Amino acid sequence: MTAKNTSQAPSEEMVPIFVMGERFDVPASLTIQKAMEYAGYQLIRGCGCRGGVCGACGTVYRTPGSYRLEVGLACQTVVQPGMYLTLLPFFPGNRAGYDITEMEGTGEEVAELYPEIFKCIGCNACTQSCPMDIDVMQYMARAIRGDVSGVAELSFDCIMCGLCASRCPAEEVQYNVAILCRRLHGRNLVPAADHLADAVESVEGGRFDEPLQELMDMEEKDLIKIYRDREAEPDNAEDDWVPEDRDYVVSRSERD
Amino acid sequence: MTRVAYYPGCALKERSAHLERPALGAAEKLGFELDELDSWTCCGAVPPPSEERIMNLVAPIRILKDVRDTGDEVLVTICDFCYNSLKRANHRVSTSDLDRKRVNAFLRENQPKRDYLPSTEEDYRDYLGEVQVMHLLEYLRDVVGFEEIAQSRSTELSGLRLAPYYGCVMLRPEDEIGLDSVENPTIIEDFLVALGAETVAYPYRTVCCGSYLSVSFPESSARLCSNIISSAAEKGADAIVVSCPLCFYNLDSRQKMISELYPGTKSIPILYFTQVLGMAMDLDISDLGFDKHYVDPEPVVEKALGSLKGGGSR
Repeated sequence: MTAKNTSQAPSEEMVPIFVMGERFDVPASLTIQKAMEYAGYQLIRGCGCRGGVCGACGTVYRTPGSYRLEVGLACQTVVQPGMYLTLLPFFPGNRAGYDITEMEGTGEEVAELYPEIFKCIGCNACTQSCPMDIDVMQYMARAIRGDVSGVAELSFDCIMCGLCASRCPAEEVQYNVAILCRRLHGRNLVPAADHLADAVESVEGGRFDEPLQELMDMEEKDLIKIYRDREAEPDNAEDDWVPEDRDYVVSRSERD
Repeated sequence: MTRVAYYPGCALKERSAHLERPALGAAEKLGFELDELDSWTCCGAVPPPSEERIMNLVAPIRILKDVRDTGDEVLVTICDFCYNSLKRANHRVSTSDLDRKRVNAFLRENQPKRDYLPSTEEDYRDYLGEVQVMHLLEYLRDVVGFEEIAQSRSTELSGLRLAPYYGCVMLRPEDEIGLDSVENPTIIEDFLVALGAETVAYPYRTVCCGSYLSVSFPESSARLCSNIISSAAEKGADAIVVSCPLCFYNLDSRQKMISELYPGTKSIPILYFTQVLGMAMDLDISDLGFDKHYVDPEPVVEKALGSLKGGGSR
């Protein structure tokens, strides 16, 4: 990342922020991510979906007058006057190697891959650091007692940003333990979904081969046109929203 | 039905499920419900003996504070280590002003801000040691009453010769735990007598099983356990009765190594006190977890079932 201050004339209130120690004055309404780009950073790592779900832009910050370290996603957190911050685009946490197809989904398997879970001292720093408001300590408590499905359910919203691990005094890798448990839960502990098998079968049966080939044969300008004209799900759509063109949608009635 | 708040501890959810399951069933038959806390973490697992440190108080005191905040005054637990951790942490905040202030200061700031959690830093109430931590055996003795159990048991386990084994952490240190005399305890004997069983006196019932040495020096644990097992077997015990998951592990699973290191040692089944209670309360045998044992308890169960049918077979 390289940074240089910009001299764009602002029309709104400006606040100072300190990115890795260097001061920038940025518009008060920006998120940390946009403020960094405003300040001249080009984000290559530490930036993904920009919508708060990919977990790439975990950020640690502190505001003046407080000793407490706060965390948040750069794309979701609005700048605060005087904040000191650094992105944590990657956290070098341990990830155990395993072959999921050879596992049964027991708590003992999880404990063998991540024996450090038993080092938890219950400080709750992980829960305090979670930008998704997950009760991290409680799902780790379930990992310790061997309740794989409990971990899967409590950790469902995890976006793998790694902030929990960054604050853990016991050097645990909560997010990797959690995704292992979700995989084991999905693979071994819940009944297989029939409609998924049906959909896979229909794909393998060549349902999409012809339309896909049509797309591949198209000129770029035509591709751009049909992409722009596509029927997209509107913002705030109801749960039962369906597109007009349902030729290639596996519909509910087809499933049932 | 009377309900009492109940803290299971991690071991009881998988490896030692056969310590918990019979307890839940027997409690129901005795007219009370062990009501598991909605959310709980590890008790801290390692007893909190150090005077200096505060982190080993954080987990147990958070659990106890949650119990108090939900309006309960008594918390029952079954595992000896959980009992020791929770009770000693409780003792420390009750008796040390400094520890009480430090752990509460930590927990107050440690409350995560969550829409779905009612409490915030502002309405945090210092935990002062209000909850009474009770071992299930203690609850059975002091609240339910052994006489009551003797009356309500479905049958007498007469003819069963059982050797109580206390281990260390259920009773020690005496001034903090205060459950029974550390040198000459009787609570397990009294419990077994109430169930109609015969108790076996032997000199090793309060001698250490090796505890966590089982991880770093398994041979040391095997040596200690072989003394306990041989002594109980020589005195004619059908089984040893324990309440601690680690004692169970050392005394039961370690018998493989013991048979290799000390050939000729008689093998003896190890039972949790809750399994004995479960048999006396006529719980379904298949529900008592006897499949989780290294040494097959089948002969003892047969004998107990024999006495259940009224005969006894000795």
